[in-house]
Amino acid sequence: MIRRGSLAFLAAAAALALLAFVRDALGFPVFYLVFLSSIWFWTAQATSWNILSGFSGYFSFGQAALVGVGAYTTAVLVGRQDWPFLATLPVAGMLAMILALAVGGLAFRLRSLRGEIFALLTLAVPFILASLARILPAIDGGQGVVVPTPDVSDIVGGFQELLYLLGVAITVGALFVAFLVQHSRIGWGLFAIRDAEDVAEGLGVPTFRLKMLAIGASGLIGGLAGSVFALQIGFVTVEAVFGLTIPLFVIVMCVLGGRDHWAGPLIGAVIVVTLQDRLAASGFEGWSMVILGTILAVLVVLAPDGLVTRIRRRPIAVGLAVIVPIAVLTLADLGDGLIDRLAVGLAIAVVVAFTPIPAWTRAWVRARPSVRGATAADQRVTTADRYLVGTTVPAARPEPTPVDPAATASTEGPGPHAIEVVQVAKRYGGVRALDGVSLRIEAGELVGLVGPNGSGKSTLIGLLSGVLKPTSGRILVAGRDTADLEPHRVAHLGVARTYQIPKPFESMTVRDNVAMAKMFGRQPVGLEEARHAAERHLALVGLADRADHRPSGINLHERQLLEMARALATEPQVLMLDEALAGLNPAEIDQAVAVVRRIHASGVTIVIVEHLLRVVNQLATRIVVLDQGRLLAEGEPTIVMQDPAVVSAYLGRPADA
Amino acid sequence: MKFAPTKRLGPILLAGTLVACSPAASSAPSASSAPAPSTAASADASADVPSSVAPPSGEPIVVGSTLSLTGAFGATGVIHRIVGEQFVERLNANGGLLGRPVEWTVLDDESDGARVTALYERLISQDEVDLIMGPYGTPNILPAMAVAERYGYVMPQHTAVIAPLLTYECQFPAWSIGTTPNEYVPTLVLDALASLPSPPESIVVVANQNGSTDFVANGVADDPNDPSVANVATSRGLEVVDTIQYPPTTTDWAPIAAQVRDADADFVFNSAIGVDTVNLIQAMEQLDYRPPLLFSLFPAPGPLLGVGEAAQGVLSISLFEANEPLLAAAGDEVRAIVDEYEAAATAEGLPYTTWETQATASWNAWEILTQGVAAAGSLEHDAICESLHASGADTTFSGPLTFDPASNNFWPPAQLVKQIQGEEWVAAWPTDRAAAPLQGPAN
Amino acid sequence: MIVIQAAIAGALTGGLFAVMSVGLSLTWGMLRVINLAHFGLILLGAYLTFQLATDLAIDPILTLVITVPLLFLAGATMQYAFDRLALGEFNSLIVSFGLLIIVVQVVSNLWSADFQRMDATVNPYATRALTIGPLAFPLPTLVAFAFAVVIVGSAHLILTRTYPGRALRAFAQDRPIASAYGIDHVRLGTLLAGATGGTAAAAGMLFALGSAVIPTAPFEWVGIVFAVVILGGIGDAVGTLLAGLLVGAVSGIVSVVVSPAAAPLVIFSAVVLALMLRPNGVFVRRSP
Repeated sequence: MIRRGSLAFLAAAAALALLAFVRDALGFPVFYLVFLSSIWFWTAQATSWNILSGFSGYFSFGQAALVGVGAYTTAVLVGRQDWPFLATLPVAGMLAMILALAVGGLAFRLRSLRGEIFALLTLAVPFILASLARILPAIDGGQGVVVPTPDVSDIVGGFQELLYLLGVAITVGALFVAFLVQHSRIGWGLFAIRDAEDVAEGLGVPTFRLKMLAIGASGLIGGLAGSVFALQIGFVTVEAVFGLTIPLFVIVMCVLGGRDHWAGPLIGAVIVVTLQDRLAASGFEGWSMVILGTILAVLVVLAPDGLVTRIRRRPIAVGLAVIVPIAVLTLADLGDGLIDRLAVGLAIAVVVAFTPIPAWTRAWVRARPSVRGATAADQRVTTADRYLVGTTVPAARPEPTPVDPAATASTEGPGPHAIEVVQVAKRYGGVRALDGVSLRIEAGELVGLVGPNGSGKSTLIGLLSGVLKPTSGRILVAGRDTADLEPHRVAHLGVARTYQIPKPFESMTVRDNVAMAKMFGRQPVGLEEARHAAERHLALVGLADRADHRPSGINLHERQLLEMARALATEPQVLMLDEALAGLNPAEIDQAVAVVRRIHASGVTIVIVEHLLRVVNQLATRIVVLDQGRLLAEGEPTIVMQDPAVVSAYLGRPADA
Repeated sequence: MKFAPTKRLGPILLAGTLVACSPAASSAPSASSAPAPSTAASADASADVPSSVAPPSGEPIVVGSTLSLTGAFGATGVIHRIVGEQFVERLNANGGLLGRPVEWTVLDDESDGARVTALYERLISQDEVDLIMGPYGTPNILPAMAVAERYGYVMPQHTAVIAPLLTYECQFPAWSIGTTPNEYVPTLVLDALASLPSPPESIVVVANQNGSTDFVANGVADDPNDPSVANVATSRGLEVVDTIQYPPTTTDWAPIAAQVRDADADFVFNSAIGVDTVNLIQAMEQLDYRPPLLFSLFPAPGPLLGVGEAAQGVLSISLFEANEPLLAAAGDEVRAIVDEYEAAATAEGLPYTTWETQATASWNAWEILTQGVAAAGSLEHDAICESLHASGADTTFSGPLTFDPASNNFWPPAQLVKQIQGEEWVAAWPTDRAAAPLQGPAN
Repeated sequence: MIVIQAAIAGALTGGLFAVMSVGLSLTWGMLRVINLAHFGLILLGAYLTFQLATDLAIDPILTLVITVPLLFLAGATMQYAFDRLALGEFNSLIVSFGLLIIVVQVVSNLWSADFQRMDATVNPYATRALTIGPLAFPLPTLVAFAFAVVIVGSAHLILTRTYPGRALRAFAQDRPIASAYGIDHVRLGTLLAGATGGTAAAAGMLFALGSAVIPTAPFEWVGIVFAVVILGGIGDAVGTLLAGLLVGAVSGIVSVVVSPAAAPLVIFSAVVLALMLRPNGVFVRRSP
């Protein structure tokens, strides 16, 4: 897939580049190159935005910052320092990337970062940069910077040919990067981040690193295209590059084209630029914004997933809808030039894409494998993948126990405790959620963690999974202190958890939810292998027949089983089930209990947090009781549950106590 | 008419279908309700213009240009559109150009310099227009000039300010504040003020960081020795109390007004554009401060008049003002042009309809272009360019102009200092072209 | 003295920012709608004020009698549609951006792209001030400040003291539970959005009182208004007022001490810091 894709992109780049040299022979005016250069610029910017915001879901309003840094780098170096243009190009890309990484490094380190906070943060950045450019005469100082036209070698042809070729190179490169990201585990990781970031981290996805990678790539692409933009406009002013139009157009294009596919920004840019051009050429300028605004509002409501998914359902029909009208109009010599005919073709294609699919086609479509599955079918883990996702587990770590339902549990043996909690306290401000808790969990145990509401159970689960860090005390997983480990590295040590309210990755099938965890496990595997392995885990929890469903299509009980299968796919030493039975009916509870037993029998140590004491008593080999952040009791279920202190904690103390 | 709605299929369909995909589309304007295209009125509309010349015939000569019809420069762009339509109409009524009718295609650059390049490329390489006219505003003129230079097209332009950047030899300014406006403008204004009984002795400079206004105020950005308002004032013995720069996006004028009040200078030089000076005056009034003398570089003329009494005596510069004495001196043709413009501007619903500097610049530009063509006797750009260099142009409003490539074709400037007196802008300096004497501070 | 004067004038201007921001902040915090079209309503408010005051020759403040109900209706209708279409936070942002550019374009087509400004005869406020000793309190922004105090004060009282207000806050905190208690969020949301439409009318009037309006003005407001909303804390009416005053005063002081061009740098750097350190707003007391 990757290799075929690379060749296709190379061929596309070569074919597009060729156009610059045969344009004259074909009788096309230079304006066609200008028009295409404009498409290239917007496609590159939209792709830059989409790799970060579309894939990972972190909306950015700061695209103008990348354009601005790229454009001003080139403008200042060429216009004031007399650098040759081509030498400024990499500098512009690097500076924009550094800016992007700095923003990402600051923002993504924040624990409380929410999507809208990131959006606003990025909204502020262009304002700051615009202000700096105005204050510093070395950059602008208020008069704008002229970018002189460079001497163009005869081989290239003219200035517009140069711009066009640069545009082709950067844009095809950008699309190829997006393609690679989408079809590698990086893309899967980013999609998982968009769907449920904390879950992804808990399953072993190095979310910070992936987000930095995405924002870095976004910065590089944005800066490079911004540099060419400076040449294109010839006169760089603060208003031209730091305005709000750039982020807003880019967002319109991606929403229109589709945000979860590399081709979405391209489709969006082609349509919006063509529409803009036609409106400008037709004296509709007074209405162009009205039309764009309407398209935007209507599309978000009607087709928030964009055109790309609709086109992929019937690529041939849509493709023909573009090409046939152009051919017919050209033969009949109707319309005002090729762009006008292209506009007609696009319009018809949009209609075709939006027309409901007839029943017979739908049946045919359903018979095909899922969209994303088909594209990534023969994907392999690349070296780059391994480097990016990393194998972060120390070499001394014990080999994972093979998860095999047939194997019997070997619960005894020397070596470090599966989990050791030493004098752990966790405070929030003045509130002590946990206070001096010490606890050991041995391999092979099935520990029931109980306690009234607010007793600190959830805090303990959070601490064990590495999402929370103790205020004092130590937590050792397989003998390794987890204090300075990110949650995904704790996951790689062999700790997995489920959530009381299931948080599946909504955009992936049930099978791929599990495969995700496999792909980012201790030993990263390719998609195909991961999917294969996922079948085993789904079978273990009894969800094999739901593998092709979307999470939205299965019931709560099944979603909780999916949580377990997904956690199991990380091949944990210790699996923590956080109220996995909440909200189930008695029959479902019995079924879930059987699944838990099966998992335990396969050799996984289990910590189960549960309100239903009947279930805990029935399942657990040992019970740990927390009350008001302290360890109240632990031991054999039957003994502990008769402890007066435990009884009073559950049934309430006398009012005068 | 260049515009042919039926030929442009694309936008109607594309827009129509995208919009029609939804039930909500009913609230959207349909493409068919689009307004009339912004191209020149056709020749037959000018039947009332008396003409003794044979009507033009043959293939029309097409002139292409962009204007900022929407966006930040839209307010001024529309003036240039009205004047252009008016000029083309008169031209066609008087025999056209080279005996052929003239058509004008205007595209909207949406006040976005980034769009200008592509639009001029389209006009020249796809629409294959015969002639081009420059856009309005320095940030738009520079990209347009680059395209014109690549194709060797003659490009008259209305109002570029940063003269040193306009290096293309076939670009012809229709408006001149000289090659060094950073020296010319302060000198002109201070000369005018020096004629007052008690000339100002101190000055404060307040400049918008908007390309041209910043250039006039400060000269070349990274050269402190380049002439600037402050340097010129100092060399003339004025005390420069303060210089303040503000970004074009300024919304809060109170701190600037406070500084100006604090400086308490005899003269405030506001290197301003648009409604800057209106905002500054209001903010100063609110601080109960009115500077004795206030100059505004490129103001939108209407809003300043609307300020009322607080704006009395405000100064600016202009090529020509439609003041009665000036009109009387200029003759009937000028009066007819001015009246016609005012009627058209009123019909367009413009808030300020009096003929002034922008309209004059626009008219000059059209005269430069058409006279160049007429003198060359052809549409060959080399020939047009050459004849303009050789024999200049004779304009209705600015008289004979000469173009010297050594000074980027910026002809010797002949700006007026105008002043708000009563309810209108009045040409007040130099005295030989003044409609009324320059007025000093009220008290 | 000049610094104090600049700080006062700036803080009063901050009152205008607060009136612009409070509606945006409340609908965002309570209804999870980031309504960029709010800026469009403010623009409409400004133009309607200009048109009505000029045509009817009445005091611009009196135009609120007409503009408030009109924009109440507009705001409520919009929210009703958002609710019906079940738009999330980001989708509401994009849809309302579409609406904003439509409004800007329509205003430009109706009133031309040129500056429009109420003449001195119609608008006596523009050039007046209240002076106390050496300090001047500009009248347009003083009026804006008064409106800010009244609007924010009543918003605060309504949200804390009345049933609909408490219901809204409950809804903002936990939607499913609030719905379970029988809170009709569609009606409440529509009501709140209508009220914010009313504040947009006031903001537009206050802007027109002190400035010339052009169709593209909203794009100049977006940055500063979001700064105020964020610094004040999303959904926090009183915080919005305090943040407006702070932003205005700081902007005034920086303009005088450093340069007007440096003011955005300081404000937006503060926004970045605030987002990173106090994402719930600068004036929020730390909850236990």
